[in-house]
Amino acid sequence: MRGWFARLRPTVQRRLRIAVPYALMGLAALAVSLYLSGPPDWGYWLPFAVLFVLLEFFAVEVNDRMLQSSSVMVAMTAGVILAMRPGSDAMFGMALMGALALFTPADFKEKRWFQPLANFGQIVTAGAVSGFILDVNLDGVAQSTDSLVLVLVVSAVAALAYTTVQNVLVRRAVKTVFGRDNLEPWSQMPALFTGQVTMGILGGLIGAAFLIADREAIIVFIVGVYAIGHLSLYAFAQLRDSHLGSIRGFVKTLEAKDMYTRGHTERVALFAQMIGEELKFTGTQLETVRWSALIHDLGKLAVPTELIRKRGRLDDEEYAEMKAHARLVEEILAEVDFLRPMVEIASNHHSNFDGSGYGGSGHVGGRSPRVEVCIIAVADAFDAMTSARSYRMALSQQYAISELRRNSGAQFDPEVVDAFERALAKTGRRWGAPHVNDEEMARRLAEEPELTLRG
Amino acid sequence: MASWTSRTLSLVSWLYVVVIAGLGLYAATLASSDLLTILVAVTALVVASMVGVAASSSGNRFTTGLAVAAAVPMALGPSDRVDLGGSIAVYGIGLAIVWAVRYSRGEGHVDLLPTLVRRFAGYVVYATAYSALRVGPFTELTGEWKDLFPFGAALAAWIGVEVVLRAVLVVGKRELSRGYLARSLLHDLNVFLGLAMTGALFGELWPAIGWWALPIALLPYSFAHLAFKRFQQTKVTYKQTIRVLARIPEVSGLGADGHADRTTELATAIGKEIGLGPVQVEDVEYAGLMHDIGRVSLNEPQILRMGYSDDDIARWSSEIIAESPYLSRVATHVRHQYEPYRKPGEQTDPDVSVVSRIIKVAAAYDWQVHQDGLSPLQALENLHAGAAYKYDPEIVASLRRLLVSRGVLTPVRV
Repeated sequence: MRGWFARLRPTVQRRLRIAVPYALMGLAALAVSLYLSGPPDWGYWLPFAVLFVLLEFFAVEVNDRMLQSSSVMVAMTAGVILAMRPGSDAMFGMALMGALALFTPADFKEKRWFQPLANFGQIVTAGAVSGFILDVNLDGVAQSTDSLVLVLVVSAVAALAYTTVQNVLVRRAVKTVFGRDNLEPWSQMPALFTGQVTMGILGGLIGAAFLIADREAIIVFIVGVYAIGHLSLYAFAQLRDSHLGSIRGFVKTLEAKDMYTRGHTERVALFAQMIGEELKFTGTQLETVRWSALIHDLGKLAVPTELIRKRGRLDDEEYAEMKAHARLVEEILAEVDFLRPMVEIASNHHSNFDGSGYGGSGHVGGRSPRVEVCIIAVADAFDAMTSARSYRMALSQQYAISELRRNSGAQFDPEVVDAFERALAKTGRRWGAPHVNDEEMARRLAEEPELTLRG
Repeated sequence: MASWTSRTLSLVSWLYVVVIAGLGLYAATLASSDLLTILVAVTALVVASMVGVAASSSGNRFTTGLAVAAAVPMALGPSDRVDLGGSIAVYGIGLAIVWAVRYSRGEGHVDLLPTLVRRFAGYVVYATAYSALRVGPFTELTGEWKDLFPFGAALAAWIGVEVVLRAVLVVGKRELSRGYLARSLLHDLNVFLGLAMTGALFGELWPAIGWWALPIALLPYSFAHLAFKRFQQTKVTYKQTIRVLARIPEVSGLGADGHADRTTELATAIGKEIGLGPVQVEDVEYAGLMHDIGRVSLNEPQILRMGYSDDDIARWSSEIIAESPYLSRVATHVRHQYEPYRKPGEQTDPDVSVVSRIIKVAAAYDWQVHQDGLSPLQALENLHAGAAYKYDPEIVASLRRLLVSRGVLTPVRV
């Protein structure tokens, strides 16, 4: 029975493990809501369903794989109207609305099957749960301004339930399927949450006002104002990507100079983020660490290539020249308000935990640098050891870790090294060459490539 | 000369403020609403105008006062007709107060007069159209949707007046073409519409649910406002980052210091002078900043040994720019910046966009003046010599007009 499942690729297995239960859960939620509640007033249901599907379809990606749309507002408006009107219920109507909104444009473009299934389960369940709350509390409530306080409270609870169900299910799906290292930090989570709940409350109030005022025209204004906000949000998301993209463009140019450092920056950013998450960084702090990692080598753009690529150690004069060039770039980057904290962290990534070493602005000799600086230092050193250089092969992860540990307390922050070790163990991925366990060997192998490893 | 103009202008502006306030007071005598209601509305308008500023991307300034203004004709008066006198009174008095405060703070010096005229005229048209349509042709329509038609039509009239007057009443800034001004207002239509709709929402709900209408109207507005603000902030930061990145090759000695900044300034001025819209002007800005960004590859010894052409730099620059999805158009403009504006035997080369042509002219001018040490006139003459093949003659002509108006260039009279 399990034979065919085991033969599937692991990524497909992981996807099935989410998609099948989610889809079943969605179907169950539909069935339960059909059993518990009567049908909605279809005349009111239809326009909101159309609006809901449209908003879900054009949701904005505010965070990696986390979509935001103002659809929760429409859902709550429809829910409150359906619950308050006599002879009409909200639960099934809201669940059914969700069932129609399972596709996004990307699903069609990339022919995905997993996302729509998972989305189906997630939206239908969230709709059914919040519809249930609305039905229980608002059925038969008088359509007058006296009920508005009750509507406000109930729609806050329903919106909270809606958002919580959605977030729990989406995070679970993303973590299971994509693993940790494919995720950008979920930095905007608290803001996202408050935003969604506020929109839910507003949606509920609009629904009630719509019934009380008995004016359909107000919907046009609401939708208009929202559409404008949505467009701005969309432009914002696009611009944010571009910001990263521009820095990445430069990083690529930098790394194109030297085949040995290709991909270095992205890897350091990944390691730094893993450490940050392990140290329970969130929000801006995590984002700062990531950006610092992305720009930590930009200073080298101004350094003549011969110096960067030189085999062996630089003499004092060359070393001073390199530092001066790098310093120049850091000074200009620090002119951008947004980048200043990151530049300060990045420019110090050669200073040591015990206060020795050289550093840029904000470095005080003899004092431990900030923990963010230590994170970049560890991530940078680890990647330097586990990737190949012109004069040696890549070293093994085991060797790199033991080297980090040996120097922790002096060069590296012991807490950061511990956190990194734990984070690496969690991913289960191995970096570097598997068996190269000392530098001597790595050097010899690089000089005589035909000497391959045989146990 | 300049101070004389601005002194006259400020005097005329004050006269206008007094006239508008007087008109407002006169309208108040025709109002059917009571004095207290009008005073409350005036206060709301003044407070909203001073507190909530929703500046927009291309320099047009809108405030939440616009939302209050849009709501006034809907909320004043009995439900079957509009208190036109009261509405105009509220706006006239409110506008006069807001501008007097602003003027005493030293804001909006030269722009004050045309903006005052524009705002007042636009609003009077809006309120009049709304009141006429409410009791006019649309009373025949039934159902709740009928309220939408008077509002929609009146709003369209308001926007029309604003756009036309924005283009017609140009004082000062001769470098901006009328086309650019009108298009920049249309570009900011989303802010305008958002504010007006928030007001309309309040106006529609007010008779039915009273003060509950306030949070319901304000919340969607503040959401839209936040999203818009975040977008603006990101944009500012992004431009800063781009500027800084553009300077990296310059400070590393791989390009001319300040070239990108100066080229951008000149190129955007040309763009506005020939009447491009704000979207294209922004493309010009990004393209100008990054047109030589590929020079960062120049410290590669191999490249220095093999030699490189201008076209290589354009290619490298555009490869770096193409990493940003938002700038894909700009990457194309930069890619074509060194190509002649027309193909041999043809009128133009459709591949070379107007943005590329502007960058080409601005960059060449700046290079000749600041690197080759030519005088502005010599540089311009060189560009004229290349016009008709390398440089687009229309853009060279625009550059000349710009240089003349800036006083950099005195035309030689023979």
